[in-house]
Amino acid sequence: MPILILLLMGGGILMLISASKDMSTYSTFAQVKRSGETAKVVGVLAKNKPMYYNAEEDPNLFRFFMTDQEGEIHEVTLNAPKPQDFELSEQVVATGSFVGDEFVASSILMKCPSKYKNEEVLVRSNM
Amino acid sequence: MQDIQYIGEHLLPGRLGHFFVITAFVSAILSILAYRKRVLFPDDLSWRKLGRIAFSVHGISILSVIGILFYIMIGQMYEYQYAWDHVSDDLPLKYIFSAFWEGQEGSFLLWMFWHVILGGVLILTAKRWEAGVMVWLSAVQLILVSMIAGIYFTDAIRMGSSPFLLLRDTMQAPIFNNPNYLSLIEGNGLNPLLQNYWMTIHPPTLFLGFASVTIPFCFAMTGLWEKDHLAWLKPVMPWTLFSTGILGLGVLMGGAWAYEALSFGGYWAWDPVENMSLVPWIVLLAALHGNFIARHTGLSLKTTYIFYILSFLLVLYSTFLARSGILGEESVHAFTEMGLEWQLIGFIAVFTLAGIYLMISRNKSIPVVEKEEKIQSREFWMFVGAMVLAFSAVLITFSTSIPVWNKLIDVYGSLTGSGDMSMYHKAMPLDPIDHHNRFQLWNAVLIAILSSVAQYLRFGAMAWDSFKKRFTKHILLSLAIGLVFAYLLSLWIFLPSWQYIVMLVASAFAVISNVDYMIFFAKAKLTSMASGLSHGGFALMLIGIMASGLNKQTISQNRFAQEGMAEGLNAGENAFLIKGMPMFMNNYWVTYKSDTLEGFTKKYEVEFIKVNAEGDTIEQFTTYPNILYDRQLTKVATANPNTKKYLDRDIFTFISGLPPEQQDRANIRKVDSLLEYTLHYFQPGETKRINQFDVSLDSIVLGTHHSEYHEEEDDLVISGAVTIADTLGQQQHIIHPTLIVRQGLLYSLADQINDLNTRVRLKSNTLDSLFPVEAALTYEPLVIKSGETQSWKNLKITMEGIDKRIDHPNYISAEGDIAIQAVLSIQAENGKNYTARPLFFIREGSPLNMKAFVADLGLHVKLERIDPETETFHLFFARMDEVARLPIEIAEEVPRNDYIVLEAILFPGINLFWAGSILMLLGMFLGMYKRLQKR
Repeated sequence: MPILILLLMGGGILMLISASKDMSTYSTFAQVKRSGETAKVVGVLAKNKPMYYNAEEDPNLFRFFMTDQEGEIHEVTLNAPKPQDFELSEQVVATGSFVGDEFVASSILMKCPSKYKNEEVLVRSNM
Repeated sequence: MQDIQYIGEHLLPGRLGHFFVITAFVSAILSILAYRKRVLFPDDLSWRKLGRIAFSVHGISILSVIGILFYIMIGQMYEYQYAWDHVSDDLPLKYIFSAFWEGQEGSFLLWMFWHVILGGVLILTAKRWEAGVMVWLSAVQLILVSMIAGIYFTDAIRMGSSPFLLLRDTMQAPIFNNPNYLSLIEGNGLNPLLQNYWMTIHPPTLFLGFASVTIPFCFAMTGLWEKDHLAWLKPVMPWTLFSTGILGLGVLMGGAWAYEALSFGGYWAWDPVENMSLVPWIVLLAALHGNFIARHTGLSLKTTYIFYILSFLLVLYSTFLARSGILGEESVHAFTEMGLEWQLIGFIAVFTLAGIYLMISRNKSIPVVEKEEKIQSREFWMFVGAMVLAFSAVLITFSTSIPVWNKLIDVYGSLTGSGDMSMYHKAMPLDPIDHHNRFQLWNAVLIAILSSVAQYLRFGAMAWDSFKKRFTKHILLSLAIGLVFAYLLSLWIFLPSWQYIVMLVASAFAVISNVDYMIFFAKAKLTSMASGLSHGGFALMLIGIMASGLNKQTISQNRFAQEGMAEGLNAGENAFLIKGMPMFMNNYWVTYKSDTLEGFTKKYEVEFIKVNAEGDTIEQFTTYPNILYDRQLTKVATANPNTKKYLDRDIFTFISGLPPEQQDRANIRKVDSLLEYTLHYFQPGETKRINQFDVSLDSIVLGTHHSEYHEEEDDLVISGAVTIADTLGQQQHIIHPTLIVRQGLLYSLADQINDLNTRVRLKSNTLDSLFPVEAALTYEPLVIKSGETQSWKNLKITMEGIDKRIDHPNYISAEGDIAIQAVLSIQAENGKNYTARPLFFIREGSPLNMKAFVADLGLHVKLERIDPETETFHLFFARMDEVARLPIEIAEEVPRNDYIVLEAILFPGINLFWAGSILMLLGMFLGMYKRLQKR
C-alpha cells in the first residue's frame, strides 16, 4: 500500500509540475514578437485609431488598435464578432501571438464601465 | 450639510436594521459563550437553555435584518444606498429576490439565513452534539455578521459594509444640498443580465450548499475539541450527503445558467469563480469517503478530519477569490470590491489557525489503527479514490490561484525590499479549458475505474477471499459489456486522441458495472442503490461531457468565408444572415425570418431546415434567440440564446452581432452622417432616372406605411410612397420615407431598400410646402347634394354620400359627439381619382369641422354645414397654386441594416450530461435518506 500511495503522489507531483508549465505570462507586443510565443497582452483600446468590423464582408473578423503597457500601439485581429460596447472598454487583455506582422488574438477579455458594475466580457474566437 | 432637513426620508428602518445587526452580533457571542460552557460543564443543563435562547435571538435578528432590507427595497427607499443600487421604479416585483442578493451584503445575509435555518435543525436533532457544533456555527455566524456590521473605528478602518447606509453618506454630490433630493433620484435597478429566473433560484441553492458545508466542519471541529474522535462520524454522514447533494446542485445550476441564458456557449468554462465553487464540493466528497473508511476500519481518521476542515476553508477561500477583486484580469464573473479584503483574509485565517491548532493539540489523542488495510478491501481503494479527488482539487486550486501567487510574490518582494516583482508574475493558462480538461481527464478515468471495481469489494478483504469467483465473474462480464458499449459509443462520439479512448472505456465500464451492482448486489432495492446511482451517474456524466464537448459542432459558418480563408485559420463560428434570405451552412438551410419587439425584448425567428442528398427535408425547427434592450429602448443590454432541445442533442443559437443602428440608437445618426444624399424634387406621379435606378413618387400620403413607425397620440405624419426599380427591371420596391411632427419636434424616418443598398428620406422643409398656413389659402364655397357631380376649377367632384365610421386622422371622439364624414370622389385633370373625407361634428351644441387634405392635388376640403331641409352639403375648397413637389433625398451604397450575425452550435448527447449529474446527486440524497431512516 505505501508503494501505491508513493506512486500516486509521484504521479501527482509530475502532473503539478507539468501543469505549472501551462502558466502564461503578461507581456507586451515587443516581447511577444521577440519570443514568437503566445501570451497575454494587457493594454487599452487606442481610441483615436480606427476599428474595423463589417459583418457583411466577414462576420468573424474584428480589428482594432491597442496600446500595451509599454505604450506601443499595435493592431489586433480577432476572429470573432466585435463585442458589444467595445468602444467603452477601459482595459483589454488580448491572448494571442504574432502571425507575421499581425497580432492574432484567440480571445480578448475586456473590462467595461457600466452603471451596474464593472462588467467583464470574454470573447473567444475558435482557434 | 448636517443642517439640511431632508424631505421624505425614512430613517427608522435603517436604525432598526442596524440595531438588529448589532443584536445578531452580540447574541452570536452569547451563543458561543453559553454553548461553550455547556460543553465544558455537561451536567449543567441551564447553559444549553441559555445557548438556545441566544441563538434564537440571533436567528430572529438575522431574519429581522433581512425583513427590513426587503421592506426598504420593496418600498423603493432610495435614501438607502442598497435600495438605490439594486432596485428601480420599473423593476418587476418578481425580481426583488434577485436584486436582494445581487449585492454582496445581501448575499452574505442569504448565507447567514441558511446557517440560521440549519442551526435550528441542529438544535432540534443534534442531541449530544448540539452544544459543540453550535459553538462553531455561532462563531462562523459571528464573523459573517461582522461582514455587514458597518462599524467604523476610524474613517479608514471599518468592520463590514452595512446594507443600511444612506446614499448621501456614501457619496459626495451637489444633489444632497437639495433637501428634496429624493424626488430627483431614481434607482439603478437590477443588471438586465441578471433579470431571469436563474438569478432567482441559483444563488439560494448555491448558498444553501455553502452553508451546508459549514455543518460537517462544525462536527469535525467539535470531535477534535471534545476528543471524541469516532462518535461524530456517524451523525455527520447525513449532513455530508445533504451538503454534497445541494452544493453539487448549486454548481450544476450555475452551469445550466451559463448554458441556457449566457453567451458562453457551454455549461462549463473553467472560469476561476466556477472552479472555486467546485473545489469545496470535491474535497467534501473526499471527506465523505474518508468518513466511510474511518467508521468501518478506524483508518484515515486524521485525513478525514483534514478533508472536512479543508472543505469549509475552501468555501471561504472561494468567497475571498470571488469577492476581493483579486481575480481582476482573469475572470468573467463580475464582482465589485467591497473593501473587505483584509476582513475576508482574517475570516480564513481565524478558522485555518483554529483548525491547525486543534489538529496539532489533539494529534496524540486521535486513535491510530496499527494494522494495514489489505489491497483487496473496498476501503483501500476508496482511500485511493479520496486521494485522487483531493489531488484533483489541489490541481484546480493551484491553477486558479495564480493571481494569489502573484500577490504573495509581491508581498515577499516588499518584505525583502526587492522592489517590483512583476517580472515574476504569471498569468493563467492561455486556454484554461484545454489545460484543466487535459489534467482532470486522468482524475476522471481513475475515479471511474475505482468507483466501479471498489463496489464489488464492499464486504472487506474477507468477502473478497470467499466470493472471489463471483466477483471476478461480474467484473469480467462488466468489462466485456463495457467494452462493447464503449465501441458502440465510439461510433457516435468522435475521439480526438487516445486519452479520450481510455476515458470512454473507463466510463462505459463504470456505467455497466454500477448497473450490474445495482441489479445483482443491491437487488434493485432503491435504498441500497445510493452508491450505484451516484457512481454510475458520474460515469454517465463523463460520457455526456465527451459527447457534447468533443462532438460540439458549429453550424453557423458561411461557406464563402471558409473558402476564402487562409490556411490554418478557422472559418469562425458566426454566420451572416440577411432577413428572409436562406443560407446554406453545414447541411442546414438557415433563414432569419422575422423579428418582433415585445416590451424591451426583440425576438428573432430563425428557421433551420436540414436536407438530405436528394433535397428532401429531414428536419425542420425554429429557434427564437433574443436581444434585451435597455429601458429607453436605445441600446442593447444583453443577448439571450435560445436552444432547440431534442432527446439526443441540442442546437444552441445566439445573436452575436447586429447592424450598428440596432445596437445603439446613437449609431443611427453616425451611420447616416457618413452617407452622401442627393436631393431631387418630385411631383406626385413623376418618374426620374437617378443613376442606375428609376425612381417615382406614386403619391403623398397623410400617415405612413413605414414598418418602424409606432403611432403616438397627436402625431402629425406625412410620407411619400416611392417606387424604386433598377434599370434592368429585375427589382422593384416601394418604400415610405416619412416625416413626423411629435410634440412640436420634427422627426425624419428614412426608409431603406437593402437589396439595392439605397436609402431615401424626405427633406425636412417638406412640411412648409405641403401645409401652408391656413390664412394663405383662399377657400371657395360649393353646395352639393348627395349623388350629385359638380365641377370646381378643373376638378370633377362627386358627392358619394356620408359615412358614420370616422377615420379622420386628427379626430378624437368625445362623449355626446355627433359626427359624420362626407365622402367625395374627385377626378383630377389627368383622369386620376382621389377620395376626400372632410369631417363635420357637433360637440356640446357647437358645429365644428376638420378639413380633408389631398396631398397629391394640394387640395383642402372643408365641410362647414349640412342643411337638412334642402339636403345639401356646404363645402369649401382651396387649392394651392402650385402642385406640391416633394423634396426627396436619395443615398446609394448604404450598408445593410437587415441582418443578424448568428452563432449556432450543435451539442450532441448533452442530455447524458444532465441525466448523469442528476442521477449522481439523486444517489447522494438517497444515501442521506437511507441514513436518516436507520437512526
